[in-house]
Amino acid sequence: MSHSHTKETDGPEVYFQYEDIEQQQETYLVGMWSFLVTEVMFFGALFLIYTLYRWKFHDDFYLVHEQLNWKMGGLNTLILLTSSFTVALAVHFAQKGNTKLQMRCLFATILCAFGFLAVKTFEYGAKIDHHLLPNHHFQYGHVEGEEEHHVESKWDKMLPSVLQVEKKEQHGNPQRARLFFSIYFTMTGLHGLHVIIGIICFTALMILIKIKSSLITDYVPTEMVGLYWHFVDLVWIFLYPLYYLIPK
Amino acid sequence: MAADHGHHEYTAGGAHAHHILPQKTIFTIFGFLLAGMVLTIWAAFYLPIPNLLENTFFMQSLALGIAVFKAYLVVTYFMGVKMGTRLVKIFAIGGFVWFFVLFVMMADYVSRPMEPVVGWEKVPSSALPRDTVKNPE
Amino acid sequence: MSATVVGQSSAKPSEPKNYLNADHTLKSWLLSVDHKRIGVMYLIAVTFFFFIGSIAAAMIRYELTSPKGILLSSEVYNKTFSAHGILMVFQFLVVVVPAVLGNFLIPIMIGARDMAYPRLNLLSLYMFITGGFLILASFVLGGVDAGWTFYVPLSTISETQISLCLVGIFITGFSSIFTAVNFIGTIHKMRAPGMTWYRLPLFIWSHYATAIVVILGTPVVAITLFLVVVERGFGFGIFSPELGGDPVLFQHLFWFYSHPAVYIMILPAFGIISEIISCFSRRPIFGYRFVAYSSLSIAFLGFLVWGHHMFLSSQSVLQGIIFSLISFILAVPSAVKVFNWTLTMVKGSVHFSTPMLYALGFMGLFVIGGLTGLYLASVDTDVHLTGTYFIVAHFHYVMVGGTILAYLGGIHFWWPKMFGRTYSEFWGRLSAMIIFIGFNLTFFPQFMVGYLGMPRRYHYYYFAPEWQFYHLLSTAGSTVLGFGFLLPALYLTYSLFKGKKAGPNPWNAKGLEWEYTSSPPITENFTQPILVTDSVYDYNPAEDSKMYEVDEEATVEDMNK
Ligand code: HEM
Ligand SMILES: [Cu+2]
Repeated sequence: MSHSHTKETDGPEVYFQYEDIEQQQETYLVGMWSFLVTEVMFFGALFLIYTLYRWKFHDDFYLVHEQLNWKMGGLNTLILLTSSFTVALAVHFAQKGNTKLQMRCLFATILCAFGFLAVKTFEYGAKIDHHLLPNHHFQYGHVEGEEEHHVESKWDKMLPSVLQVEKKEQHGNPQRARLFFSIYFTMTGLHGLHVIIGIICFTALMILIKIKSSLITDYVPTEMVGLYWHFVDLVWIFLYPLYYLIPK
Repeated sequence: MAADHGHHEYTAGGAHAHHILPQKTIFTIFGFLLAGMVLTIWAAFYLPIPNLLENTFFMQSLALGIAVFKAYLVVTYFMGVKMGTRLVKIFAIGGFVWFFVLFVMMADYVSRPMEPVVGWEKVPSSALPRDTVKNPE
Repeated sequence: MSATVVGQSSAKPSEPKNYLNADHTLKSWLLSVDHKRIGVMYLIAVTFFFFIGSIAAAMIRYELTSPKGILLSSEVYNKTFSAHGILMVFQFLVVVVPAVLGNFLIPIMIGARDMAYPRLNLLSLYMFITGGFLILASFVLGGVDAGWTFYVPLSTISETQISLCLVGIFITGFSSIFTAVNFIGTIHKMRAPGMTWYRLPLFIWSHYATAIVVILGTPVVAITLFLVVVERGFGFGIFSPELGGDPVLFQHLFWFYSHPAVYIMILPAFGIISEIISCFSRRPIFGYRFVAYSSLSIAFLGFLVWGHHMFLSSQSVLQGIIFSLISFILAVPSAVKVFNWTLTMVKGSVHFSTPMLYALGFMGLFVIGGLTGLYLASVDTDVHLTGTYFIVAHFHYVMVGGTILAYLGGIHFWWPKMFGRTYSEFWGRLSAMIIFIGFNLTFFPQFMVGYLGMPRRYHYYYFAPEWQFYHLLSTAGSTVLGFGFLLPALYLTYSLFKGKKAGPNPWNAKGLEWEYTSSPPITENFTQPILVTDSVYDYNPAEDSKMYEVDEEATVEDMNK
């Protein structure tokens, strides 16, 4: 009974529970935003933890953060900002009904996302080789009775020289270093997980558009995935200065 | 706000024309974002005023200030809050405001000394074997 | 309620087809996106988890009948009360009212055809079930011994199946986030024309407030528990003091959610009570706006009191005092509600039907629970009472006496609407009374023994054998209580097959769900689009007639059997 009185001939299809397309679009956006509120609180707790420990152990955090490669972090910032830009364009073209350009922008976004993960792989790989992943193998700084450990990492060597940074000695309290890397890996790891989920969403979206699925009635699915992606970008906008550029 | 589910006109894409973020704006915002990023990095390493470069509070505020500005741009323009309905605005603002309620926790930490206290290292407190923590203070 | 049907007026009376018999295949149930079917599936799922949780409770009560313990070793006892707490909190209390009654009623009450995101709703259901089974798996594979609060460092060093259990809770948590997102979208955007905010039933207001709490609080506990998993799994040390971390931070983050979570449990219950009280007093709710706003203020203020669970952790005294003060303030909106319900009954024409008996039981027990909360919220008395059975009694008064009684009241109230059958009023009233008595017998002695010093989570008290008296009372009471819970399960199931057919509005109640849908409702709820023109609660005690006849007759008949 529902469809009969709502069906419009010229607009996109409206799902049975809505009265008209306007209501449907707004409802989806409201839902997405309330989900994003959830995401804000999700990462918010981590930012709180970060703030607390950074405030308590600022000096150690400053010394430890020199182990991170700020150039790689910067590169990732660039990549994510670009991907946000391409998503914004994708939504723009989706609203205009220009599917071809929309698909290209989406594709560019996915490329950026993979680029981000590639850079992260180099970073994580090097950290793990240096025993900085805070698991059983964690080792930081000079240990009594042992040679200063100078583990080389193939990941570092593979980097082009512009992206390499000068090696800093491992100063600072090893326990605090371990705390630092625990939070670092948790936050960037969860962020990376969000990037992977983003890739899945974008790929699914592109496939659905390609096969002209009935699930894609208008630009709103693109906008929703876009909102999610902007949020991922937003988190990184804060992560970058907070981890890679800690001032003295 | 409730009863206005009336029928309005819509374009073929189902969107009001004024909902669409113009291309020019997208490019401008992108420019600002890149500039913000460059500024952050430049300031962190090459700020020509050594006094300030040594000033943790200033440097941190600067970096965070730029980050907040970038976030503002992304949220208002890319995420379309500026053109969104009032409801979307409320949720967007509400989410970021509520985030700060978490920081009430800091009131606890500024009003008491916090561990570690000497001797804590010897208390087993993680799933790891004890010897993973070398070099206790 | 005054509302009119718009559109063509060739309305057929009501079709024999409804959401239950629309389609009979199993697949049509399991993959249904109909909010009513999803609600019914939730009903089955939560009942299942409640049953398992109750078995654990029975074991606890049995163990405590002797000062030396009887059956269980300390280790197994720890696992038993943990299982009880985890199942009851995460798999039952947090979801039960929103998922069953909320899902079923919200779209109907606001005049919509379905939830805003029906597929998401189905996903929530399956996430809830997956989470639940992971939790159960963790119990089977070795149990969990850190209690439902999972305090570190116990939960990080314990060698039980905590990681698996936490993953389950994480998934359940996201299931309730999705449900909340659904509620928010639905309540904001799916209301029928004319259904303005101040015409909404209070049931909707309290579910809206609940949904807000869920989306703001649940992610925080999700990430906190996730950090425990990471700490256990990889050896990261975010809460570990040996690295300079702070275990109390875990408690802060945990209670940042878990205090609001008690409002996630009780707010929907408030909504049910508002509906029942006004229906069976035949009066519009007294001070509608106060009741509505008190829900919202509870939702927001509830986030500012978490520290009252941590007076005896190393939390600073300053913060303790602040939290204590805010906790006292927070009791005000709850009291506002109780006073408003009471005033609704004044000069009303009160009917003691089954749902009303449950609602009255709720009011009595919730008042006791809330008032004892105040003892706990003042720092100095809490120093004596924390960690004792006094707390156990307090939260059972608010959670069992509050949430579960309200839930049962709601189920009895809307049962005819959900399944189109009436149950025996005689057995209904009897069960309400048995539960009330059994409940008090179980938990009132716990106040006393807790005050005397019986610590919670102990399975012996050989050092004070004189407490056995209270424990025996409590165990006896819990037997009565268990029997009381069993009764509705039996006669409600019976009514599904043999109950009398219910008309669309057996209580002569107001509201879209009663006045504009059949019992059970059809698949998309309404035969016609709805236009609301007046407030929901246009009850009038003077015009009250029919209802008495209906249910009085039914009772007499039952008694003659
Ligand atoms: C009138 C308002 C209330 C006040 C002032 C209040 C106060 C408190 C306080 C101070 C505690 C902590 C005691 C301690 O650990 O030392 C507590 C514990 C608890 N309350 Fe309430 N409460 C109130 C209402 C509720 C409601 C409505 C619920 C649930 C529906 C609830 C559920 C709980 C639970 C589950 C605990 C125990 C948590 C645990 O340690 O396992 N309370 N309450
Ligand atoms: Cu509390």
